[in-house]
Amino acid sequence: MTDTARSQENLNKLFEVNGITVYNIKSRRFKTNTINIFFQDNLNKNTVALNALFPSVLRRGTHKLPTLKDINLYLEELYGAVFDCGVGKKGERQIIHFYFEYLSDKYANAEKSNFEGALEFLLDIIYRPALKDGSFNPQYVEQEKTNLKMLIESRTNDKVQYSMERCYELMCREEPFGLYEYGTAGQIEVITAEELYKHYKEKVTTLPADIFITGELDESDMEYLKNRVGSIDRGVTKGLTTGIVKKYIDKVEYFEDKMDVTQGKLSLGFRTNITPKEDDYYALMVYSGILGGGMHSKLFQNVREKAGLAYYIFAGLEKFKGLMIIGSGIEFKEKDHAKDLIMEQLEAIRAGKISDYEFEATIKSLETGIHSLKDSQLQVVDFNFSQLVSQTHDTFEGILAKIRRVTKQDVINVTGKIQLDTVYFLTSQEAEAV
Amino acid sequence: MRYETLEFKKYDEVMYRYEHSSGLNCIVIPKKGYYKKHATFSTHYGSVDNKFIIPGDSEPTKVPDGIAHFLEHKLFEQKDGSVMDKFAALGSRPNAFTSFTQTVYLFSCTDLFKENFELLLNFVQNPYITEESVEREKGIIGQEINMYRDDPGWRVTFNLLDAFYKKHPVKKDIAGSIESIANITRDTLYKCYETFYHPSNMVITVVGDVDREEVFEQVERNIEAGESHGEIKRIYPEEGNELHKAYVEQNMPVPTPLFYMGFKDGNYKLEGPEIIKYELAVKLLISMMIGRSSELYGELYDKGLINSSFESDFTIENSYAYSMLGGESVNPRAVQESLVREIKKLRNDGLKPETFDRLLKASKGRFLRQMNSVESIARSFINLYFKGVTLFDYLDVYDKMNFDYITEVFDKHFDIDRMALSVVKGMDKQQLS
Repeated sequence: MTDTARSQENLNKLFEVNGITVYNIKSRRFKTNTINIFFQDNLNKNTVALNALFPSVLRRGTHKLPTLKDINLYLEELYGAVFDCGVGKKGERQIIHFYFEYLSDKYANAEKSNFEGALEFLLDIIYRPALKDGSFNPQYVEQEKTNLKMLIESRTNDKVQYSMERCYELMCREEPFGLYEYGTAGQIEVITAEELYKHYKEKVTTLPADIFITGELDESDMEYLKNRVGSIDRGVTKGLTTGIVKKYIDKVEYFEDKMDVTQGKLSLGFRTNITPKEDDYYALMVYSGILGGGMHSKLFQNVREKAGLAYYIFAGLEKFKGLMIIGSGIEFKEKDHAKDLIMEQLEAIRAGKISDYEFEATIKSLETGIHSLKDSQLQVVDFNFSQLVSQTHDTFEGILAKIRRVTKQDVINVTGKIQLDTVYFLTSQEAEAV
Repeated sequence: MRYETLEFKKYDEVMYRYEHSSGLNCIVIPKKGYYKKHATFSTHYGSVDNKFIIPGDSEPTKVPDGIAHFLEHKLFEQKDGSVMDKFAALGSRPNAFTSFTQTVYLFSCTDLFKENFELLLNFVQNPYITEESVEREKGIIGQEINMYRDDPGWRVTFNLLDAFYKKHPVKKDIAGSIESIANITRDTLYKCYETFYHPSNMVITVVGDVDREEVFEQVERNIEAGESHGEIKRIYPEEGNELHKAYVEQNMPVPTPLFYMGFKDGNYKLEGPEIIKYELAVKLLISMMIGRSSELYGELYDKGLINSSFESDFTIENSYAYSMLGGESVNPRAVQESLVREIKKLRNDGLKPETFDRLLKASKGRFLRQMNSVESIARSFINLYFKGVTLFDYLDVYDKMNFDYITEVFDKHFDIDRMALSVVKGMDKQQLS
């Protein structure tokens, strides 16, 4: 066995200072090291667009490297280091992520560790941006507003992704989760450089932050890390609210959009009413796998393979918010037929019609999926950060053990909690309403 | 069991190559400590291979567009049901894709490697195609073709290829068209299978923490040697170096226009490592001119003419080569004109050696970074293999790359008379009314 090569790869909490917690995941398997800094905020309609915009402005320059060109020259000199930042959402939290990946010292012919420089660069991006007259450079702000508006408007280019996000957004239109993590073009439009700068200053000093470093740190790296993070000027760290998960549905809602498309996209949004902290969450994972988690699943086998109704079909969970979505690509005229057949699959699980093949292939597939995460530094970090967000503090092995304990009866038991909330159909301008 | 070992100690990488009596090579690239074991079984057969002389025949065979991709779909059906189900029972993730020049079958697993590998070797070697299933597949692939038709990124790419090529099949959608696949029959599928799925036209790769000798023994046991067919003669139309069109535009509902521009390149008749040397040179030149640290990128970004979606690539195969640069832009023409101006300026002023040095270093670092992922290693490896190169040949090419060669390639590739532009944009307001 080669477990010795991996035995050190667990998450180690190094220290916590001023609302910033620092973790290390040791690993020798990879050619690169990474530094990830995450800020979390409540998803809120008044701040979502501001939070999306400020990282785009920060990436334009630091006090030492004031232009995009300077930053890229620096990255190239460091053997093509990679720097990126952006926003995402996990449940009702908006996540702001800064990322740096650089070649391990071993391959970079480095005389001294590149870690110090890498950390300094990333902290400069966040805390010492290029400024003009004591605020953000208005030119940078205007350009990034334009880019962000473009990104928001281009969402519809990817119809598969868009049709599912749109379903969730319509479904949760009165909850924070219904907000798109980049805000709206209208919200971006009215942001001023001064307002953005003030907002940014407050957020990076008060939002809870987590730093994940992958790769090996020596003693001098550790000392530098402690001093450097400890010297960040921070205010009082903001407490965040916990999102709402449980919601009773008394009526299914139907929505439709028309676009110039040749294939229809049918999405069904569900409330699972189960949080990752509850014991039956693992049964829910298995449930979702049996229903639509791959080629062995009921949706794939029955709706795609047997009935030939869908080009693609799958189910997936949004674990933080307790939601499940079924996404599919179908012919316009098959909408009702497809929806009925999809609902029959849910009904079959409720009635206990789960074959040994469906059950065991699901468990195996979940195992493969979880083990596979471990071969990507970014996914290892995301997994561990997600545990913090959902306050579950699980390890890969812990989750695997819990999944293996799930029985068919546990799966049948969760079906009672799952409710269809919203049906969304993306159709063409020409398709006849049926 | 005899096999060849190639070590790259400086980079902690090694590659083992075993040659089966059929002529098939099996490559193992170990990744110690990795959880995923990734295997591929690939044939040197893609969407451009639609006219060829079957070994032993005297006349060429012409087959419908999209047939390589169609065959890929059909191989997943076996006499005793779908092979997908058997992989699923093992918890693994089989997949396949067809490109212009290859068809690749693959899986990734974290457990039961032997069983998964056995399945892969067997199903690719045992087609079971019925007339009824061919007809059914036409419906499924028709849906796939429609899906690509709605994808503006796919359209802008193929429209550029259409601008480059008058006749070469690289300009056609990999899946073919609804009309072309209508002509596919069971017999033609078998004919293509017999021609291109002979082990001597194929390669196997395994990347991950595996026992190489076990892998080679499994290959030895499971590959049907068969008699060698001899060489397949692939026929591509005489294309010439001129563009088909300099500009192609399509209206689709996109909020911001998408564009790709690039150069049709006639210098594809290269052999072995010369291919990747040329490829690397073109990619470095693109970075020198319009990469993220260039003056031009900064200028275009500041003017709002490009954004971070801007990307570039260079493709070289044995019957064509081209570059592609693009992304979203409110004014693709202006981006093209700026690049043309930059090329003319560099022809006058010369390229800068220090820019070359820095970008070479960055490129090598990013090459090593891709060794982190078993999928990336496998993908890059297969892509090069049928050109007679291995992934690790890059290490040598990086060491030998030099400024004089770059200057030479600059004059060869960036010929403004062979530059085309493809744009996908929304309808103008006037057109709508």
